[in-house]
Amino acid sequence: MARFIGRRLLLMVPTLVLVSILVFALSEILPGDLGRFILGPYASQSAVTQLDHKLGFDKPIYVRYFEWAGHFVTGHWGTSYQYTNLSVFSIVEHALGNSLLLAGFALVIIVPTSIAVGVFAGLRRDSLLDRIITVSSLSMTVIPEFVSGVILIVIFAVELNWLPASATPPVGSPFVDRFYYLILPAIPLMLLELGYIARMARAGTVQVLNQPYIRTATLKGLPQRRVVFSHVLRNALVPTVTVIGSQVGWLIGGLVVIETVFVYPGIGNYTVHAALNHDQPLLEACVLVIAVIYMVSNLVADVVVALLNPRIRKSS
Amino acid sequence: MATTGTTPDRGDLELQVNAAAEAEQRRQRRFVVRTLFRSPTFLAGLVILLFWIFMAVFSTHVTQSPTNTGGAILASPSGAHWFGTDDLGRDVFARTMAGAHTVLIIAPLATALALLWGGIVGLIAGYHRGLTDDIIMRIVDAFLALPVIITAILIIALLGRSYAVLIVVIGALFTPVVSRTVRSAVIGEREREYVMAARLRGERSAFVMAREILPNITQPIIVEGTVRLGYAVFTAATLSFLGFGLEPPSPDWGLVIASEWSNLQTAPWVVLAPALALASMVVAVNLVADGISSAFSK
Repeated sequence: MARFIGRRLLLMVPTLVLVSILVFALSEILPGDLGRFILGPYASQSAVTQLDHKLGFDKPIYVRYFEWAGHFVTGHWGTSYQYTNLSVFSIVEHALGNSLLLAGFALVIIVPTSIAVGVFAGLRRDSLLDRIITVSSLSMTVIPEFVSGVILIVIFAVELNWLPASATPPVGSPFVDRFYYLILPAIPLMLLELGYIARMARAGTVQVLNQPYIRTATLKGLPQRRVVFSHVLRNALVPTVTVIGSQVGWLIGGLVVIETVFVYPGIGNYTVHAALNHDQPLLEACVLVIAVIYMVSNLVADVVVALLNPRIRKSS
Repeated sequence: MATTGTTPDRGDLELQVNAAAEAEQRRQRRFVVRTLFRSPTFLAGLVILLFWIFMAVFSTHVTQSPTNTGGAILASPSGAHWFGTDDLGRDVFARTMAGAHTVLIIAPLATALALLWGGIVGLIAGYHRGLTDDIIMRIVDAFLALPVIITAILIIALLGRSYAVLIVVIGALFTPVVSRTVRSAVIGEREREYVMAARLRGERSAFVMAREILPNITQPIIVEGTVRLGYAVFTAATLSFLGFGLEPPSPDWGLVIASEWSNLQTAPWVVLAPALALASMVVAVNLVADGISSAFSK
């Protein structure tokens, strides 16, 4: 197992280097004259040259890349252009905490719900209920999260007044209150993921139900509940866990939008505002952090799959 | 099944084989079309999609002017204004219908670009394998390691907002996924006899890829294309909403939802109408995509 994880961690390194080159190229080289890009078209040329020199933009590209990458690795992420005097590191740290709280809360709702829905549909394969669940959950999945966000806000915040339309409780509220405020933002994220995860859980269930060992379990007189929980689930969950891991990218994309919809100070919201305001240091840091989280979560999913399925663990 | 065009010196037998293969292809195509038109979900998707295409082209002829600011400000839905009016007194129904236009330009063109680029990259990677494949797939992985929205934001922040930028950026960001699909389809085909035969004939690899392999992997490419189209609508609308799409006063749905957000509490219809329109379009595209892929797999 340790070898498996070690190999996967090693494989992450070249991808991470490529991603960092990509981000560097997009944000440091593509704009051309960065001093001009930051100061705008009306700044004097001498001011632009001065800024270029001060920020080191006049050095050769490879020198700049290694300096830039070195600063990231050692935690010197610079200061934000937009929020003057705030270090990028502290902004990202704070934003990441908020995002993880929202994403974690959403996942806690998403995973059990969608597995339950999928297994339920799989056990009643080809029934009307199965078709309704499959079609509607897949339709939900393709609706942009700001659209479902709008509809949910109109229903639950504006018309019924059950839940708050913003995601942050007033200052001084107890910590548990935060979850109450996160319910409405979490639902669009759930709708986004529900379809895929439920579909995999359904497919896994359908496939496992056809296996001889399930027939054996039923024939030896085990109650239906035992068959489902201790025989079907374990094997039906393997493809489901894989897809949950691969959905993390979508979840992060979803967070970017949901955090904007509900004005929530998470990493997605900061990424959008950094991009809109040309705050390069903050933007680069946010994007790299998101890439690392994405890769790590894929790794975690693979490890969990390997734990569930000894065949994969042994073959590698 | 590979038909390589007819040359005069070919024997009768070969012509017969070709004719039989073509008849088989026609039969298969008819079967797919018949399956499609028997699927209620596909038909529902198709009808909604055709409705939006009609509106994108003709909405200005069948609704009030989407730019006319004559009406009362933020009026509730009524007989005169079915979906009410917005904060400038414009008819929300007219603007919602006109809003189909932008998405239906951006999404199909972006998808076409992604299919073109992804097709080329996937053919090259899958056909050549080896080092070329390794290098290409590493780069594809790097692109896939970033959520599409994040990369799109990064690029559009630099290039500015326009139709061309949106189309090229979405097309480019979908290229890695498409190339992966095409690559795996090519790998499935490249060991077949007809590919071997073409190589032994001494055809150049570009010819083998484009004229021999490509016609045989159209099904997965069509399926990938329809699925990508759904995501392209999704992505284009999301970018608009986040402020990286078109500029006002475009009636683009994502943009309208974002810019009318402050009226959500007092005049929800202004935001709700484009939201529901967008939802209906993405669901329609995906129903069509789902119908096509299940008709092929039958």
